[in-house]
Amino acid sequence: MTRASTEAFRTRGPTSTRSTPYSGGVSIAPVELEKPDSAQELARDVPWVTIVWNDPINTMSYVTYVFQSYFGYPRSKAEKLMRDVHEKGRAVVSTGSREEMERDTEAMHEFGLWATFRKDD
Amino acid sequence: MRQPFKAARAGIQVNLDTQEREILVQLLGQLDDLLDDGLGTSEDPLAAMVGMSGADPDAPGPTTPDDPALARLLPDGNRDDPEASAEYRRLTEYGLRARKRSGARMAAGALGRPEPVVLATDEALALMKSFTDVRLVLGERLELRTDEDADELHERLWAGEGDPSWLATASMYELLTAWQEHLIAAVARKH
Repeated sequence: MTRASTEAFRTRGPTSTRSTPYSGGVSIAPVELEKPDSAQELARDVPWVTIVWNDPINTMSYVTYVFQSYFGYPRSKAEKLMRDVHEKGRAVVSTGSREEMERDTEAMHEFGLWATFRKDD
Repeated sequence: MRQPFKAARAGIQVNLDTQEREILVQLLGQLDDLLDDGLGTSEDPLAAMVGMSGADPDAPGPTTPDDPALARLLPDGNRDDPEASAEYRRLTEYGLRARKRSGARMAAGALGRPEPVVLATDEALALMKSFTDVRLVLGERLELRTDEDADELHERLWAGEGDPSWLATASMYELLTAWQEHLIAAVARKH
């Protein structure tokens, strides 16, 4: 992550857009299409995680903004996750079903963050 | 200092001059072209909306792009499981390309309006994401792989070290970084 952050925004964070689909107001996400593996995964109740990895291009303020606006995290939590990404190279930013984590990964990719999903250890 | 983007009552006011906005519009057009996979837009509006291509579902799905810049815009979704990664790409890549391209076009359209240019919220967010995508592409072309690379670019640029083409790309990259930071700050002030 780069330290280009000049004037951090000090106001209250934006509201979450997590439940909002990316194009228009309809929530038919591709991840809800038929997926043979998902039923088994859900049945075993194995949590999955979305991981955001450090990159040299996205700025600290942008990453913080994304965590606040998409996940609806308070500024303090968004900043802590941003610092984890920056200092530890990655951070788990969300936990849930495989479908949810694929959706979060897709949203992170739409924001240009470097994200992956995987089964939690 | 002039603020390139300023939170105003009606939206985000753009204080870039005509030439600066033209440069941005050009870069956004290049981003749009880079993301064109040649498959065209799906004619089925529902399929387009949910991000499915109109292609034969049994046809082999898209693979990680060969161009590293494009691969950075459309990265793999899973590092451990190639099958899960391929399935993720099959389900999402078409839609991601389409949304990134329509965002770039929305931002370019807004920046091309006559002055004074004021961005609506969705236009400002589209521009913010497109700034990221253009910077990811330029950053990849500049071979920025680590945080140290980014620091070094900054130092070399300020020292004026490098051939003219590198200096031009690097200074554009840094300018876009600064503009994006101002845009983020302006958008945050609106909330």
